[in-house]
Amino acid sequence: MAVSYSGVTKSFRGRLVLDGISDVVNEGELTALLGPSGSGKSTLLKIIAGLTPLDSGRVSLAGKDVTNTPARDRHIGFCFQDYAPFRHLSLRENIAYGLKVQHVARAQRREQVDELLRLVRLEDYADQYPHQLSGGQRQRMALARALAIKPDVLLLDEPFAALDAQVRAELRRWVRSLQQELGITTILVTHDQVEAMEIADRLVILNEGRIEQAGRPPFVYDHPATEFVASFLGPITSLGGISYRPHELELVGISDAAETLEVREVVRLGFEVRVILTNAEGSTTWVQLTHDQVKQINPRVGQRVGVRVRSTIATPAATGAEPATPRETSHHEGSH
Amino acid sequence: MRRSSLVLRILVIGYVGALLALPLGFVFQQAFSHGWAQLWAALHDHAMDLAIILTAKVAILAVPLNVLFGVGASLWIVRHPSKVSRVLDVVIDVPLALSPIIVGLVLELAYAQNGWFGSAFAAMGLRVMFSYPAIVLASVFVSLPLVSRQVIPLLREIGDHQEQTAATLGARPTRIFFTITLRSIAWAAAYGVTLTLARVIGEYGAVLIVSGNIALITQTLTLNIGANFESFNSYQGFVGALLLALVSVLVLTVIGVSRHRLERKRHGSFV
Amino acid sequence: MRAHEDPRTYLAKGVALGYVSLLVLIPMAALLNNAFSHGLGAFWDAATSTESLDAMKLTVTCSLFAAAFNAVAGTATAYVLVRDRFPGRGVLNAIIDLPFALPTVVAGVTFYTLYGPHSPFHVNITGTWVGITVAIMFVTLPFSVRAVQPVLESLTVDAEDAAATLGASSARVFRTVTLPAILPSLLTGTGLAFARALGEYGSVVFISNNLPYRSEVSSSYVYSLVSQGNDPGAAAVALFLLVGALAVLIASNVVARRLALRRG
Repeated sequence: MAVSYSGVTKSFRGRLVLDGISDVVNEGELTALLGPSGSGKSTLLKIIAGLTPLDSGRVSLAGKDVTNTPARDRHIGFCFQDYAPFRHLSLRENIAYGLKVQHVARAQRREQVDELLRLVRLEDYADQYPHQLSGGQRQRMALARALAIKPDVLLLDEPFAALDAQVRAELRRWVRSLQQELGITTILVTHDQVEAMEIADRLVILNEGRIEQAGRPPFVYDHPATEFVASFLGPITSLGGISYRPHELELVGISDAAETLEVREVVRLGFEVRVILTNAEGSTTWVQLTHDQVKQINPRVGQRVGVRVRSTIATPAATGAEPATPRETSHHEGSH
Repeated sequence: MRRSSLVLRILVIGYVGALLALPLGFVFQQAFSHGWAQLWAALHDHAMDLAIILTAKVAILAVPLNVLFGVGASLWIVRHPSKVSRVLDVVIDVPLALSPIIVGLVLELAYAQNGWFGSAFAAMGLRVMFSYPAIVLASVFVSLPLVSRQVIPLLREIGDHQEQTAATLGARPTRIFFTITLRSIAWAAAYGVTLTLARVIGEYGAVLIVSGNIALITQTLTLNIGANFESFNSYQGFVGALLLALVSVLVLTVIGVSRHRLERKRHGSFV
Repeated sequence: MRAHEDPRTYLAKGVALGYVSLLVLIPMAALLNNAFSHGLGAFWDAATSTESLDAMKLTVTCSLFAAAFNAVAGTATAYVLVRDRFPGRGVLNAIIDLPFALPTVVAGVTFYTLYGPHSPFHVNITGTWVGITVAIMFVTLPFSVRAVQPVLESLTVDAEDAAATLGASSARVFRTVTLPAILPSLLTGTGLAFARALGEYGSVVFISNNLPYRSEVSSSYVYSLVSQGNDPGAAAVALFLLVGALAVLIASNVVARRLALRRG
C-alpha cells in the first residue's frame, strides 16, 4: 500500500478536528477525501504531508513509518488551494525549485523542466511570472512543480475550487488522465461530490473528523452507509417517509400511483427538469424528469398527479420505515 | 477615473507646495545664496565634517542592527504567534508616538553613570552616556518599529503556503528562509530600511540629550546644524541642511519606488 | 512545523527579547522609577506646576488644531491623489513623505528663517502659537494622507457611481458613501498624528522661542528640566505627557474600530 494512517487524532484550540481515523490508500489510485468544510479533510491531508503535526496516531508512506519525519523528507508532492506559486520566480524557476534543492546539474535540470512544461502544456509560458498567468495555468504549474521531484504520493488540497466551472471541469479530467498515465498515487481533497465521483477510484467521506464511509464511488452512491453520506453524495427526496434519489421516482396516472400529490413548481435546470410536489400534510417530494418526459406528461402547477417508485428499482426491504432513513436495500440486481 | 474638481486640485497643490515644497526649496536657495566658492568652503568646515563622520558611523551600526531585529521580530510575530510575541508587537510600536526628548530622557535615566543600569555598566568600566554607544542606542530606539511595520502586514498577507510548499519540495528551513521568505518581503524590507536610515540620520531631540552635544566629539550632523543656528552661524547651518535635504530627496525616491513595487505586489499581482 | 522549534530559534527569540528589554523596557521602567522617586506628591507637583500646565495647554492647542486641520487637508490631498490624473501627480505623491524623510531640525531652522525675524515675506510669527502650529502642520500632514489613501484606492468608484445614479450630488456622495468608509482610518491616522505632535521637538523648538509660560511647548520644558539636572521633575512631566499621548492613541483606535465594526 502506498499510504496508510491509523488512529490519527488532531485538535485545534480545544476543538477536535480528527477523531482517531484510519485508512489505507492503494498504490496508483486516485482517492478523494470528500466532506463539508470543517470535516477535517484538509487537516488530514496536511498531516499526511507532514505539514501539520498530529496529536496521536501513525502515518506510513510506501511502507515506512513517517510519523516523525519532517515534510521535506517524506517525498511527497503537495498543491495548495491557492497554488502558492513562488511569486518572485518565473514559471520555469518555480518548477525547477525542487530540482535545485536536490542539486541536479543545470543542464539536466533544464531538460527535466522542459519535459514537465510539455507535460502540462505550458512551454510557451516558461519565462513568465505567476501573476501573468491565469488560474488554470497556475494550477498546472503547481502540479508540474510538485511532480518535478518525482514524489511517491501526490497530495492535492482542493485544487480546482478557485477556478470557474468550465475550467474546473476540463482541468479535473485532464489531471485524472495525467494521474492515470503516470500511475502516481494521489489523494485529493474536495467538497465537490460531483468532482469526486467523476475522477476518483475511491471515495473517503469525512464528517466532523470521522470517516463516514469509504469505497468505490458507484457503490457508495448506491449503498450509502448513513444518512449523511446519502444526502452529501447526491440529491435525495422522500416519499412516504422513505428516502429516494429523485430519478428513482416517476409521475404516473393517479390510479397507478403509490401516492397522490399536488404539483407546486416545475423548475427547468438546463438538462433536467425538477417537479416539486407536496402532499396534504405539506411535506415536499421532488421528481427528476427529462425534457421528453415533461413533454409527454406536461405537469402543471396545481395539478394532482400520482407518484411512485420506478418499477426497475427494487423495493426497500423495510416499508414504512422511520421518516428519512437511508434506503435499506441490500439487493440491487438490475438497478442503475 | 473620476476627476475631482479643478479648484480642489489647485488648493491641494497650493497647500502641499507651500507647506512642504517651499521649505525644501528654501534650503537649497539658502545654501547656494553665497555662491559656489563659499559653499565649497563651508563643506569643509571642520566641525561639520566630524559631525558627518559621526553620523555615518552611527548609521553603519544602527541601521543593520534594526533591520536584523525588525525582520526577525516580524517573522516571530507573524509565523510563531504566542502571548510573548503579542507583547513584543506592542512594545515595538512604543517608540512611534514617543517624543524624542522623552526618548533621550529615559535612556539617560537608565544608562547614565548614576542611572539605574548605568551604574552597573560604570562598574565594568563602560561609559554609555554622552558617547557613541549612547547615540547608537537612541537611534535604534527611535527607529525600532520602522522595519516591522512594513514587513508584518506583508508577511500576514502573503501567508506561509509558499514556505510550506518549499518544504515539501525538500528544502531545509535555512534554504526556505533565503530563497522564499526573504525574497517575498524584499521590497517591504527595503522600504523599512530606507525609513530607518532617514530616521537615524535625522534624529535630533533624543541625540541632543544622550550625546551631551559636545562639539567636535559627540555632535551628529543634526546637532551640528542646530548648534550653528544657535550661534547665529545660519549659513553654515543651511549648508549642513542642504546635505540632509539631498539625502531626503534620495530617500523619497527610494520610498516612492518601493511603495510602487509593494502596491503592485498587493493589488496588481493576482487579478 | 516541528522543525522550527530547534534551539537556534530559541536563541534568536532570546536575543530579540534582550534587545527589546535593553532598549525599551528598561528605560521605560527607569522613567517610572524616577518619576515617583520622591513620592506621589512630588510627582503631582512637578507634573501640574504652572509652567508645566502652561506648556501643556499650548502644546495641546496647537497640536489639536494642526491635526484637525490636516485631517481635512489630508483627506482632500488623498482624494486628489487617488481620483485625479495630472502631470506631476507622482511628484506630489512622493513629496507627501517629506516630513518622514527630512530631519526635524532642518524643518525647524527653515521655518525659523522663513517666518521669523529674517523672513523674506516680512512676517514674524516666532514665539506665537501660529508659528508653532505651522511647524506641527508640516510634521503631521503625511499621517492623514497615508491613512486615507489606501482606503480611497480600494473603495471602488462603483459605490460612488452607484450613489450618483441614484441622484445623489457629489457632496452627498462624499458625505454618505466616501466619508464613512475613510473615517476609521482617518481617526487612527489623526490620533497618531496628534500623539506625535504632542512630543514634537526639532521642528518646533526654533520658531517657538521657548519663553516659559508663554511660548514653551512641553517637550522644550522637559528638555529645560533635564538641562537643569532636575531628572525627577523631567520624568514626572514626561510621564504625564506619555500617559496623555497613550490615552489619545487608545481612544482614537477604539473609536475607529467601533466605527469600522458598525459599517460591517
